[in-house]
Amino acid sequence: MSSAWLAPRACSVIGAAHRRQGKPCQDASLTAQLTGQGGQTLQLLAVADGHGSSRSWLSDRGSALACREAERAVAEVLAVTPLEDTTAWETWLASGLAAAVQRRWREAIAADWKQRKPNPPGPLEPVTYGCTLGLVLLAPRWWGCTGLGDWDLVAVTEKGSASLVSEEPSLGPQASGEATASLCLPEGPALWGPRAQLHPLAAQPQLRALVLSTDGVRKSCASDADFLALCGQVIALRSPQELEEGLAQITRQGSGDDVSLAMALRQRPPSRRWPLAAALLLAGATTLAVVGLVRRPTAPPADPVLVQQRALCADPSRIRANLTPRRAQLQQLRRDPSLAAQLLAAPQNDPLGALLARSQRGSLNPCPALEQQLMALWRDAGGKMPAAAQRSNERPPAGDRPAAPGSR
Amino acid sequence: MPFPNVRLSNRPLHFIYLCDCSGSMAAQGKMQALNQAIRQSLPGMAEVARENPEARVLVRALRFADRADWHVQEPTPVQQLQWRDLEAGGITAMGEALERLAGVLQSPPMEERALPPVLVLISDGQPTDDFETGLATLMRQPWAQKAVRLAIALGHDADLEVLQQFIGPEPPGGGRSPRRPLQASNATSLARYIQWASTAVVGAASMPASRVQEQGDSNVNIPLPDLPPTLLDPTDDVGPLVW
Repeated sequence: MSSAWLAPRACSVIGAAHRRQGKPCQDASLTAQLTGQGGQTLQLLAVADGHGSSRSWLSDRGSALACREAERAVAEVLAVTPLEDTTAWETWLASGLAAAVQRRWREAIAADWKQRKPNPPGPLEPVTYGCTLGLVLLAPRWWGCTGLGDWDLVAVTEKGSASLVSEEPSLGPQASGEATASLCLPEGPALWGPRAQLHPLAAQPQLRALVLSTDGVRKSCASDADFLALCGQVIALRSPQELEEGLAQITRQGSGDDVSLAMALRQRPPSRRWPLAAALLLAGATTLAVVGLVRRPTAPPADPVLVQQRALCADPSRIRANLTPRRAQLQQLRRDPSLAAQLLAAPQNDPLGALLARSQRGSLNPCPALEQQLMALWRDAGGKMPAAAQRSNERPPAGDRPAAPGSR
Repeated sequence: MPFPNVRLSNRPLHFIYLCDCSGSMAAQGKMQALNQAIRQSLPGMAEVARENPEARVLVRALRFADRADWHVQEPTPVQQLQWRDLEAGGITAMGEALERLAGVLQSPPMEERALPPVLVLISDGQPTDDFETGLATLMRQPWAQKAVRLAIALGHDADLEVLQQFIGPEPPGGGRSPRRPLQASNATSLARYIQWASTAVVGAASMPASRVQEQGDSNVNIPLPDLPPTLLDPTDDVGPLVW
């Protein structure tokens, strides 16, 4: 079976701070193509981020072992689970894989600990190898993700719009600054569930690529809008060297943390063959258009905000993950409404920001789930989103107005 | 194809002094010692910032006496900071100071990507206003909860209980710990603590190491470095007890 995914690649680059301090890169990443029953292929993307504190002094080994054991665990599951059985895969992603990877990782670090020379003093403490782990599974008809920790997964559409698909849920108000969930925690397997997702590709015709990264990438970007822009553009890189050099630049000018990125592009479906008659008709129409007898209206470019809105409403589980990091932007909009004009002037640069601006102006017609989340966000920011009743009385500027249904 | 041209940024590290400027600070040269200690610590702090370019160290100072007010209001790159002397006089509006502090630890103005801030409370006495309300207001801010909170007690009249509340739960066991108020009994030990907070702690807070969120460790935001030696350590000789 041919793969639905192209050019999977992964790259980890040592952080500028670690390079300066003479420490190893504590990130690891991989891509793998696994073959299951009947020759079915499954692509795997993995990134792992070693904690790096003095307690986790072998976390570079921990992250490498996490990626290796994840690949083996997924291969085991693939050997007994047909890719068509999405229900079974959903269960694996939510719990079964978590238990298998965690068990394998603990065995692997125990073996690594035992063979270290000179023998380390005292018994093994898993935190010594502590790391996060993010996995993306790419099947011919679906994709899924799971793992734990502060990795990010971004989906990029055919139009180039990028949105967060998965990020670490808040660890609560008491969570300390740079804290994250980890494979070394006893409750680790339970932390995988909230990160597990499975999506049939048929339901996401606009999906172009998935970009998985460790937290060093996002923290190096000046804002989430920059991070999403980065993910939207990085998929066009063709050379592994460009990616590696780019990641080195990211850590040098950004957080100084190790950085890892793994991504894959979706195979574009082959263009449909036109029946002969239709082709002749099209040729005729084209000829007429050329001689000016038929004026074909030019299709307007897709509205990035509407594309963003549709993507969120098609999968409401992503709404909160995408909107919550925009609280600061919302506060800025509330304090300085003139910022909305900047966002709306170039919505393609930050579609989600432009969506917030439209919600402020009442010129958005969101699905109920999106509207509910936007209202909550505005309420938290001390403001109020214009009510639906008010919206109908406020005509947005022409360039800012979403197209009415059927107008295209 | 060139690598995507997006805005990259190092991460701001906010370091904020909260300085008691009540009348008692004028006695026995405490205020003079505090000004001198902070001023002398700045070159070392700037050096740590230079060594950790991934963190942008920004300093502010809040003074409190009859009222709380900003002494250094704008987050100032440590390399550009010129320390103006604080002056003593009045009572101890520590609660109001914490409320003022809470105002700047909201998001915004706090940046999404900021590192956990470092807050250093320095006092020689007891609050004369509603400390509890001020602390509650402060601790409602997620950035205050994530902050590295340190306290330095000047002399034996400082209210250690109040300072401990600011820091958070006392660590189990006895002994010296940065999670207890640091007791400075003379200008030398004060200078050492200020130097430690502005260099060793800033260095640790600048490190981009992530760490495990374990149950029951909510008050250990970054691994804090060892404390400097003081009079409390019998092997040290740092000068006479004067406060």
